[in-house]
Amino acid sequence: MAEDDDERLRSNLARLRGSLDKARATGEARGPARAGASGAPRGDSGMSLAMRAASEFISAIAVGAGIGWALDRLLRTNPAFLIGFFFIGVAAGVFNVIRLTSPKGGGPAQDSPLSRAEAADKGGRRPGLEGARERGSSGEAAGSADDDED
Amino acid sequence: MATESAPAINPIEQFSIEPVVPIHIAGHDFSLTNSGLFMLLAVGVTCLLMAIGARGDSGVPGRMQSLAEMAYEFTAGMVRSAAGEEGMKFFPFVFSVFFFVLICNLIGFFPFSFTVTSHIVITAALALLVFLTVVFFGLKEHGTHFFKTFVPPGVPIYILPLVVAIEIVSFLSRPVSHSVRLFANMLAGHITLYVFGAFVIMLGGASWAILKPAAVLPFAMAVGLEALELLVAFLQAYVFAMLTCMYLNDALHPGGH
Repeated sequence: MAEDDDERLRSNLARLRGSLDKARATGEARGPARAGASGAPRGDSGMSLAMRAASEFISAIAVGAGIGWALDRLLRTNPAFLIGFFFIGVAAGVFNVIRLTSPKGGGPAQDSPLSRAEAADKGGRRPGLEGARERGSSGEAAGSADDDED
Repeated sequence: MATESAPAINPIEQFSIEPVVPIHIAGHDFSLTNSGLFMLLAVGVTCLLMAIGARGDSGVPGRMQSLAEMAYEFTAGMVRSAAGEEGMKFFPFVFSVFFFVLICNLIGFFPFSFTVTSHIVITAALALLVFLTVVFFGLKEHGTHFFKTFVPPGVPIYILPLVVAIEIVSFLSRPVSHSVRLFANMLAGHITLYVFGAFVIMLGGASWAILKPAAVLPFAMAVGLEALELLVAFLQAYVFAMLTCMYLNDALHPGGH
């Protein structure tokens, strides 16, 4: 009788340890992902994205035109550089907005190194979202298991 | 007639900088202004929060300790997700910037206080600090390799000069959009709040009694806007710090990796 109990306790312990290790392993895998997930959704809220796109577009044009204006003043070539850099500024603004809004997969600016920062950022977030989804599905699985037991 | 009795509305007045402690050294004005005072206050509040949180004299973490730990975890997660594990060497910098902006934004909610971040001088100084950190750290760590940031791979040689010019303009526009976003959000939010607050007083003090109950409408709007502005204050501080991380990522990994 006592041995029987011992054996059952031991097998219980082994089972618990196994599930604990598993939880720990997945928990470690999810650790950084969760950090990403906690940051991602707020930065991507619609209004802030719109504000970001607008300000990036306008600031690029302003900087482009400003560079052109300064070069014109320096070289007395009014208004050649102003016109040229204004359009470069517009292109940079469009570039910024494309980069900001393009999905992590494709997008015309994907090969641009500056966009890598954004891509790396989004890549950092993606596992977070996947982790969240995974967590959601595992939660559902746990929920259904509970239902079965009930 | 109603306008005669109503107080003059000047939504910009709240942003005026006035000396609090006049200091004049050798003909130059070094006075401590209300802006400087509230900056010191923000730094003091942050230090106090962290000092109380880091005391940890009891085994069970209290409220302040949980707050400090959450602040650390949140910022560390942001730095790691945007700039990778190497980005953690910039953690103190990002944390300081984040909490300075956040506390300045939040202090601005108290009546008769001053919103430091509603002045572009402050946000531009912070954005330039980030920008120059990126440039100098990038050049120091990677030398000329840092300039690969401006040369995207796989671009045909005949349009490369144009693309490089666009990339440079795009790079130089970062501190502008970085600073203007925070400044414009705080400025616009505080002006909107002031205007709606003034509407309440104007309608409440209207000489036609029938108009007085209508003061409830702008008041409800102001309450809603207050909540929205609280969100914006958090969000803009977060976005400011997040972009700082992303720009620092460029200094750590120029040309991607």
